[in-house]
Amino acid sequence: MSAEVARPHSREFVQALAAELSKLWSLPAVWLTLGGSLILNLVLAAAFVSAGLQDLTGTPNALDIGLASISYIQAGYIVLGIVASCSEYTGGQIRTTLTAMPRRSLQLIAAHLALMIVVVPAALITATSGVLLAAIALGDASAPVELGSTVGILAGVTGYLGLTTLISASFGVLLRRTLPAAIVVLGYYFIAGPLLREQTAHAKYLPDTAGLAMWFPQPGDASALSPVHGATVLVAWTLGAFVVALAVYRKRDT
Amino acid sequence: MLTIHRLVKRRGSRTILSGISFQARSGRVTGFLGPNGAGKSSTLRILLGLDSATSGEALINGVPYARLRNPLATVGALLDGSGAHRARTGRAHLNWIARSAGLPRSRVDEVLAIVGLTDAASQRVGSYSLGMGRRLGLAAALLGDPEVLILDEPVNGLDPEGIRWIRTLVRERAATGRTVLLSSHLMGELAETVDDVIVINQGRIVADGTLAEVIDGHGTLENAFFALTTPNGGRVAQ
Repeated sequence: MSAEVARPHSREFVQALAAELSKLWSLPAVWLTLGGSLILNLVLAAAFVSAGLQDLTGTPNALDIGLASISYIQAGYIVLGIVASCSEYTGGQIRTTLTAMPRRSLQLIAAHLALMIVVVPAALITATSGVLLAAIALGDASAPVELGSTVGILAGVTGYLGLTTLISASFGVLLRRTLPAAIVVLGYYFIAGPLLREQTAHAKYLPDTAGLAMWFPQPGDASALSPVHGATVLVAWTLGAFVVALAVYRKRDT
Repeated sequence: MLTIHRLVKRRGSRTILSGISFQARSGRVTGFLGPNGAGKSSTLRILLGLDSATSGEALINGVPYARLRNPLATVGALLDGSGAHRARTGRAHLNWIARSAGLPRSRVDEVLAIVGLTDAASQRVGSYSLGMGRRLGLAAALLGDPEVLILDEPVNGLDPEGIRWIRTLVRERAATGRTVLLSSHLMGELAETVDDVIVINQGRIVADGTLAEVIDGHGTLENAFFALTTPNGGRVAQ
């Protein structure tokens, strides 16, 4: 019978990834969150451009102004990661997931990879659209922006939003309910993180501040992390959160 | 073939299952009965790899669920609820399950037709009635045309026609040599459908045999059930 024909692990993983992409594709909350973040980012970028044009103390820079909104719209990516994970616990879907894909490590890796496949292009489009809007609106009023550094910084923003989404998804797996997970992760990124940044120099190794170094370099601060160093620290946090979430997920009665 | 061997489940200091053993054989419909909280759902969840056992084994064709290479082609399971997110359409729910096993989209249309949900396939699951949710869960269970069906209260929320349809479905599956394990509270319905009966009470198996063996001396399955699971044999105080 067909059940006795061994399915290679590689094909099992590709099929799990296809299933997880199909789940994200068919969940309206995913598109609402991504679309909402994109629109809100453009609205905020327009507001920052307007403020930049009125600021008489210096020459506005399209890159800085176009990305100023990322600190706010990262909330959308945090919510997206949490919603993607917590949606499993609505309507008993987790039981369908685990009966269809009983190897939990393989399934959770596929789910996180699917999330990256959706989030990376969305984050790149969001960040680029904000910068383009600022560049077009400022026109000649913008200070010159070097293409090489722009590409590097846009890659940094994209990586930061992608990894932050994955950390949020791991918290979603751990807490299973959207609201508590959102309170914990948003509370960290918008309240605890900024407070700690002011209190201690070690805060540069925390995920929000290390991630900030990926796209908001501080050339004047010798102790600040470089973009590559910041990315390394944030990847370590992301992997750490995933390993803890996976350890709990593998053992948990569902 | 399903084999439960000395299965123990404890949660904290509470013992849910105290070393139960039974089998559900190929080509037969096995009824799994017990009052609420007796351990039925825990047994089924361990069998499906959703909960871990404290000790003992729950095997499907000799293998624990988590080691099945093609789970959907081996076991179709229906637990409580639809098992689907309310914001997805019925078809989208079945699509992702089909993808996890590499099944074609045409199979999704087939199972939608089998359970009578073709017209409602584009509606969100949140708008489904209880019976439609059960039908969607059944469609998911049938997707991989599995050798084994494990159905927890499948007729819950179904109309008389749906109940008869389930009865015919499970009888047909057993007639082609497949295994069906079925739990239900509806004694009359079970007596019409099953070949073998397992009765569980307070985490222990209190009866295990053919339908005739379990009913023997009690007249009906319902009388046998109450005699086995209640201290006063189910007699209502006057």
